[in-house]
Amino acid sequence: MRIPGNLTAPALMLVALGGTAQSLPIVEKTLSNGMRLVMVERHDQPTLSLGWMARVGSANEGPGITGLAHLFEHMMFKGTRTIGTTDARRDAELNALQDKVQAGIRTEMSVLREKQRRGEIADMMDPKARTPRLQQLLGEFDALVKEQRTLVVKDEMDKIYTQAGGTGLNASTSQDRTFYITGLPSNKLELWMWLESDRLANPVFREFYSERDVILEERRQTLESRPGGLVGEAFNAMTWAASPYHWEVIGWPSDIAQVTREAANAFFATYYAPNNITAILVGDLDPAKTVALAERYFGRIPANPKGVPEITTLEPAQPAEQRMLAEVETTPSIQMEFKTVPAVHRDAPALQALAGILGGAPMFMGRPGAGGMRPPTGRLNKALVLEQKVATSASAFARGQKLGGTFTLRATPVPGTPPSDLEARLVAEVDRVVKEGVTAEELARFQKASKVGFYGRLESNAGIRETLSSFLATGTLQDFQDAPRRIEAITREDVQRVARQYLVRNARNVLITTRKGGPPEGMPRRRPGQPGQEVK
Amino acid sequence: MIGRLTLSLLLAALAAPAQPIPDRPEKLSYPPVAFQVPRAKDFKVKLKNGVTAFLAPHGKEGTPLVRLSLSWRGGAYLDPVGKEGLAQMFGSQLAQGGTRQLDASKLEDRLEAMAATLSSMNGDTSGNLSLQALDSDFPEALGLFMQVLTEPAFGQDRLDLAKRQARQALGRRNDAVTSIASYQMGYLLSGEKHFSSAAPTAASLEAISREDLLGLHARLLHPANLVVAVSGSFERKAMTETLQRTLGSLKPGPAAQASPKVPGPDFARTPGLYLTDKEAPQAMVQWAFPGLRRSDPDWHAAVVMNQILGAGGFTSRLMKKIRSDEGLTYGVRTALGTGAHWRGDLTGGLQTKNRSVAYALRLALAEMERLKAEPVGAAELAVIKDGLVEAFPTGWGGPQAIAGRFAEEALLGWPEDWWADYREKIQAVTPADVQRMAKKLLDPDRLVVLAVGKASEMGPGDPDHPGALKDVVRLPSFKLPLRDPLTLKPLP
Repeated sequence: MRIPGNLTAPALMLVALGGTAQSLPIVEKTLSNGMRLVMVERHDQPTLSLGWMARVGSANEGPGITGLAHLFEHMMFKGTRTIGTTDARRDAELNALQDKVQAGIRTEMSVLREKQRRGEIADMMDPKARTPRLQQLLGEFDALVKEQRTLVVKDEMDKIYTQAGGTGLNASTSQDRTFYITGLPSNKLELWMWLESDRLANPVFREFYSERDVILEERRQTLESRPGGLVGEAFNAMTWAASPYHWEVIGWPSDIAQVTREAANAFFATYYAPNNITAILVGDLDPAKTVALAERYFGRIPANPKGVPEITTLEPAQPAEQRMLAEVETTPSIQMEFKTVPAVHRDAPALQALAGILGGAPMFMGRPGAGGMRPPTGRLNKALVLEQKVATSASAFARGQKLGGTFTLRATPVPGTPPSDLEARLVAEVDRVVKEGVTAEELARFQKASKVGFYGRLESNAGIRETLSSFLATGTLQDFQDAPRRIEAITREDVQRVARQYLVRNARNVLITTRKGGPPEGMPRRRPGQPGQEVK
Repeated sequence: MIGRLTLSLLLAALAAPAQPIPDRPEKLSYPPVAFQVPRAKDFKVKLKNGVTAFLAPHGKEGTPLVRLSLSWRGGAYLDPVGKEGLAQMFGSQLAQGGTRQLDASKLEDRLEAMAATLSSMNGDTSGNLSLQALDSDFPEALGLFMQVLTEPAFGQDRLDLAKRQARQALGRRNDAVTSIASYQMGYLLSGEKHFSSAAPTAASLEAISREDLLGLHARLLHPANLVVAVSGSFERKAMTETLQRTLGSLKPGPAAQASPKVPGPDFARTPGLYLTDKEAPQAMVQWAFPGLRRSDPDWHAAVVMNQILGAGGFTSRLMKKIRSDEGLTYGVRTALGTGAHWRGDLTGGLQTKNRSVAYALRLALAEMERLKAEPVGAAELAVIKDGLVEAFPTGWGGPQAIAGRFAEEALLGWPEDWWADYREKIQAVTPADVQRMAKKLLDPDRLVVLAVGKASEMGPGDPDHPGALKDVVRLPSFKLPLRDPLTLKPLP
């Protein structure tokens, strides 16, 4: 994300029942260059929630350029040949000069990398390790940046949107898609067309190299500083072996620090052609006029007839259970993750139902100010938290992405109980579903909660935009429209079968976190007769 | 249904003569868009016991959901010494602890069968009980809501669980620079005794009993404390009758009291640079100046000044300088405290790698000085003011937001037409006003700065940008020890 918030899109835990999706007046249209428009007309408020999505994310990267899709998202706010500079010609010259100095810097970094490889220095990024030549080049580079800064119209796109009443200008990158959004008063649709088509037609990735530093700070803030953040990254990398979901969206630090503008240019040419882009427009608009405007503004961008390279790597079946034991400055916990299926897979709805029944009705209120939190009321909570009193929380959720999915069980033990004690209890609840299935009432409740949740998401322009983007990132508009029927069609047998099929021992990835340096949650206070004994 | 454009419509649109695309976006012109500020009186209903309700039924495009929220005055400021956390616990347990007729599990079961959500919370100065349900289930769900409101059980089992969870959360206080900064800043700004900084400890949680929760409930449930907001799928007349019969019929019990005025902190701050040592890859920096109350005649000028300085994201000076130019942080932001009950604070903060703290602070303070030294240019001021004015309708986007905002203002006792001339007052702010507010509020002699991070790296600063931390902030410097997460006593 460009502005602090969550980096990845939230897991898709919604769905619906007959009626809702169908009642939304959706218009879909493909422009002459292959760009798709999805429009929802709503006139209650004079506002628009707008966005366009490039079907590219960290899954389209590879070693050496991890984090590029997300870095790229930041670069898309740096302007164009028109926006963001007072002198496009000199600006371009300075960019070329910067690239040249950066090439020299890379040569020096190679020297340092070799020194680090040989153990002569500990950290090639440490300012103290710099060679004199590198120090000199950094000085030259700094001078070029300073000159360019005199020509830059700082964050001009933000400025223009802000003055026009824009709200929530932002973007987010996930493994599967990059989404650029804003809200605007409904009379400013053409401004959106102008600015967004301009940055697709004439982008200039200025301030490229200093933005890498911003991303490294973003990484420190959102991942490294978060208790358990680095362990989460390692656990994810352990879970996904071959899939490009192996690395985090933000990328490995050494890749972020060394990625080049040339790589970014190639990335743009491949993935940001209009035939790889879908715009989503929700609110006070007229579809026919919108299509005409879009054809005029976006239609001028040529398609890429080659299309985008398909991701062909398939995650192999996991041959053995994998475990990670971590010591972190946080409350102890256990997490158990199974790789499952993509969001559009025919088994995905039953896995959602399984998560709903084990984990409890997901939180659908979700709106700030609407009130406090309600704890999950699923089987895990009833068994581990309320009855056995061995955990203070226990939850389950299913996530479907484009190339695969995960099913996750999580629990936090009561103080004094080691998290490993909860593993057998979590598995016991899964086994109960495998052996006995779920009840008709549990399934019906999940289905009703899904319906209400879907309504909750479709109340605002922005909510509709986000919901559509979730479906379009992993599938098609048809998948959005089929979602209610697919939830309705789940049977008890389906739920039992997916539990048996996917939640198997070999497919387990287990993360056990204990507190680094002892438990400030209070001394272990095991008293006779209290829960907390080892359970096998 | 997937609509299809009728062919003729589409052809008509495409056949219009192709206009050229202007070379700059400023050359576009826009049709006017009318927006009337919603008026409280159009939504307000006075219930027969004096409780104010705001009803905002949705328009044509709503979903079949109803949202009801009952808010009350009263919160942590009423916590007795030694029972810090009582109001918070009350807020978590009201909806979760069952009723005299239905224990917690049975209540959850009934709600789950309807896919209805009932939740409660209580903060420093107010709390609420909120319900979301399908319109067809609303009568039954409202029955449960009223049961919870009038005869909550605060089941011991659930209370014990909540206390275990709360204690676990206390244990995480020192795990991240953000949570450390949050409690340290509270003490620096409001002292040890004021409710806004007096957080729960393991002992104060332990001291909270079921009887305390019942006592607080009996005290708060007074019509004088209550405000209602309802939005979604209903008819105004029918909902008014429903509310009269239920919330409008509440009578104060023998222990009920109108909640007293919220007391401001009685504390003299010591301006300075405060450092808390914490091994972390990135430091958290926060600062605060005394701010204003929202009733201050200078409020709107202060809003604009703050927006220019740091509240406007990438349009603000701090973000441009510290993030866009220097790449030192993912985000920097300032906030003008709303000053609902007493004077607010003008606060700001950022996270940056430990060695960049001194340089980032130097840049931030220099931007503040610039705002005092030079009047803001007309173009920059116009962007900020137009932005606040043009985005104003978005803040009223939908029935829930409208009912919620009026209810919140009523709860604070704020004039209900306060927003009516907001846009005009923002547009009236001049460069001289901005400069005057900068000089008034950004007073370095009243500044409190806190940095939580690795002290050995923060102190000397960055070799690329010389300047030690103590030379950047010319205020007395103090070491601020971490506190024990369970007792909140300073650690040696």
